[in-house]
This record gives sequence, structure tokens and C-alpha cells, in this order.
Amino acid sequence: MADHTRHPASYKDPSGFIFQASGKFYRQVNKIYAGHYDLLTRSGLSSFLQEKKLLLPYEEVTENILHSDDWYLTLLPEQVPFTSYPYEWCFEQLKDAALLTLEIVKHSIDKGMILKDATPYNVQFLNGKAVFIDTLSFEKYDPSLPWIAYRQFCESFLFPLLLSHYHKTSIQPYLNSYPNGIPVNITAKLLPWNSRLNAGVWLHVFLQNKLSKKPNHTEPTTSFSKNKLFNLISHLDGIIRNLNNIDKTEWSNYYTETILSRQYLGKKEEIINNMLQKLDGRKLLDLGANDGFFSLLAAVKKFDVIAIDKDDQCINALYKKVKEENITNILPLCMDLMNPSSASGFANNERASFGERIHTNAVMALALVHHLAIGYNLPLNKIAEYLYGFSNQLIIEFVPKEDEKVQLLLQNKKDIYPEYTREHFENVFRKRFTITEKVQVPDSNRIIYLMKNLGEI
Amino acid sequence: MHIYILYIDPGSGSYLVQVIIAAVLGVAVYFKNIRMKIKSFFSRKNKDEVPPKDS
Repeated sequence: MADHTRHPASYKDPSGFIFQASGKFYRQVNKIYAGHYDLLTRSGLSSFLQEKKLLLPYEEVTENILHSDDWYLTLLPEQVPFTSYPYEWCFEQLKDAALLTLEIVKHSIDKGMILKDATPYNVQFLNGKAVFIDTLSFEKYDPSLPWIAYRQFCESFLFPLLLSHYHKTSIQPYLNSYPNGIPVNITAKLLPWNSRLNAGVWLHVFLQNKLSKKPNHTEPTTSFSKNKLFNLISHLDGIIRNLNNIDKTEWSNYYTETILSRQYLGKKEEIINNMLQKLDGRKLLDLGANDGFFSLLAAVKKFDVIAIDKDDQCINALYKKVKEENITNILPLCMDLMNPSSASGFANNERASFGERIHTNAVMALALVHHLAIGYNLPLNKIAEYLYGFSNQLIIEFVPKEDEKVQLLLQNKKDIYPEYTREHFENVFRKRFTITEKVQVPDSNRIIYLMKNLGEI
Repeated sequence: MHIYILYIDPGSGSYLVQVIIAAVLGVAVYFKNIRMKIKSFFSRKNKDEVPPKDS
């Protein structure tokens, strides 16, 4: 029993829970959910959604692994290699998760079922696409009732998307501040006045806000219908499809518009390709991935890449590319290395920190160190120490002070970085890594290193 | 002060708002269908008026 652990976030729904046994995640279906589970199977909904790759595939296991009194069945789902959270997704990822949820509701209604909850935590990104993971979210549909999860859907999908759309701001701060959804009264206060001119926004936000202030006993007794629900879901779908948060930032076209010439990129590409070939293992974490130019290179070389950048627009662009080109081995995520996702939720253990979740064979950090060292005053020693914690192998670039990108960072700042030199960089990294290769990018002073972790020191 | 309980609590007013939105959408869909019917009636008529190329 010692290696069986119930997932700390899996406590809300009495229908069952997730647990880990022998290194695998399982889902227990409780007796109380038996009728709904049987309908999910019997109606053909489960197999239909799995065939369409909308629902995470799973196998039934008839073993009561935990010897639980409530046990009805055990499910072994396809394992998700990296769990990401909505506050790490870009706008387009949340949008796709929302559209996936609505599509599943539509198919469910057709087969006599409905989703009893609608949270982005029921969605993960696997093989480049959003997939629904919560098999126990389905319940028998009563056509006389409206959608029980409507409010939750609005708060956790529609409202953050609307706020990000109208203000053209990144979506993560909203989801970080309100991990369980933004309440309607807050959304109504935060949306700009002109959003009221949109009928959909007025109905789903401002009208809902007005009605939510009335006491519960005013809930209508008039019956709903399948057709009405279908119209409502289609309406939400239509609103969400038209949303975007595209805004030009100084970073978005870093590789395509700025002084980094094609020639420079071509040479850098050759060096990186060469170093990638020397790596052991297939898991690669690209830190400061920008628009994913080098993540895409690694993906071609069959690496499973997690590409992170703090710029939501860059990750948006990369995610769109991954989706359009059916690239299955890049997971783009938004994250600020100066403030990576912390452990959160009840008792700080419902959602693990980024550090706890990251297990990689190699790390790639190109044109990143100068941003941390000069942009954020982070001592080189601290950077080396941080990377040492999770990088067995490291492809890292050092951009010297005389480089124009560094000069740009120093433009409005006093140069308080006497230690920012190639020698000092190498010295601090040598304490934790072996430098196995060192290549200067032609026509620049930039140097790319291939390093191996020294292990216990 | 709102109380947010996620499991199976639809939240105050959320049923009523769905009933109202569904009614509004019902009316919108009704008029949209009429408009589509009129449109398709005229486009069919126009098509009928175009003589076949070979004749």
C-alpha cells in the first residue's frame, strides 16, 4: 500500500478519484457513479469521443487496487507525460480548451449525457492538441434543466478570455489570481464599457451579473429543452471563436524582424543541430523559447520538447504553428522564470510547482542568460545553481556585454555588472558542469556551450 | 458576499440567465430561419431564371 497515493487535488467529486500506484496514474470509479459510468459506455459516447481524440483513452481494470469499500471499477488512462495548468497556457490554448469542452457537451447531449462540471483543469495538452481527461465529468442528461456547469464554464473559460480579448493583455495573470474562475461581478467591473455593446457579452456577463445578485428563490421552474441548450452552447462557441488577444510586443518577432540576420540564424542552427545530436535522452526543455525556432529544430530531431517563454504572444504563435502543422512533440507554455508556477491550492499541494513537475534529460537556454543577469540582476552563480538542479545536459548561450542586445538592456541602466564576463560565466558553470563543447557563433561574439552535469558535488 | 461551491451548485441566477438567453436565442434563430428561407427562395428563383447554357 505504501506506493499508493491519492492525488491531493482529487477530492471534490464523490464519483471517484485519481491515485498513483507503481508510478502510474489510475482513476477509481466509485459505486455512486456506476449508473452514469455504465451509460457513458453503453451510449457509445466514450468510444465516440476517444475515436475523435477528444477524450483521453483509458482501459478498464477490474482490480480494486486500493481495497476500497466504494470501489466500482478502476480506470487506467493513457499517461500524460507533463501536467500543465491553465495559468501556464497561452490565450489560444485556453480558447481551444473552452471549445473542446463545448464540443464535448454537444456530443454528450446527443447521447443523453452532459458535463456536470466545466473547468480547464479537466483538459490537458497531449500530442499538440487539447484533450479532455476527466472521465467522471459525464452524467445523465435531464433535458428539462439548464446546464448545471454554465456558471463554472463562464467563470473559468469565457470571462478570462473576454478580459484578455478586450484589454489585449496576456491571460495568465487572470488565471493565476483566480485559479477557480473569475466571479461574474468582478468580470463585469473589469470589462471596458464598450464590451456592453456586444449582445453576447451583455447577456453572459452583465445580465448574469444582475441576476446573480437576486436571491436563489427566483430560480425559474419553467422547463428547459435540448434545443434550447444546444442553442446556448452554440452561442458560447460562436462568441469564443471570435476572440483573440493579438497584440504586437517588442518580443513577438524577435527572430523574424530584428537585427538577427538569416545568416546568423543559419549558423546558429547548424551549431545547435550538431549539439542536439550529442544529447542523451529525448526529453528537452527549451527555456526562453521565444517563438520556438530552436524548439522546432529539436522537434524535427524527435525530441519531446517543452518550450517555455514568459511572452504570451510568442507562445501563442508557437502553439498555433504546432497545431497547424500537426507537430505532436512540442508543448508550448507561458512561464516567467523569475516567477515560475508555485505549488498552490489547498495546503499548497493540489497543484505542483513547476520545479516539482519538470523531469528532463536536457535543457536548452539560448539568449537567456543576459536577460536574467542584466535584465533582472540575477548573479551568474545563481543561474548556474538553478540550472544544475534539473539539467543533466545543457546547451547554453553566453551573450557578451559588447553585444548590441546586451547594450540595449544597459541603455537605461547603470552598468553594475563587472562580473558579467565570459570568464566568470565559465568559472561558475564549471563548478557544477563539465563544458564538453564550446562554439563561437560566426560573425558574433556569442558563444554556445554544451555542458554535462557533474552530479553530486 | 458570494459563496462559490463548485460541485453541483449552479450558482445563484445561473439557471434564470440561461432561460432568458435561450429565449432570446430562440427568437434570433426563428428570424434567422425566416431570413434564410426568403434568401434561398429568391436565390432558387434567380437560378431558375438563368437559362441552361446548352439550350
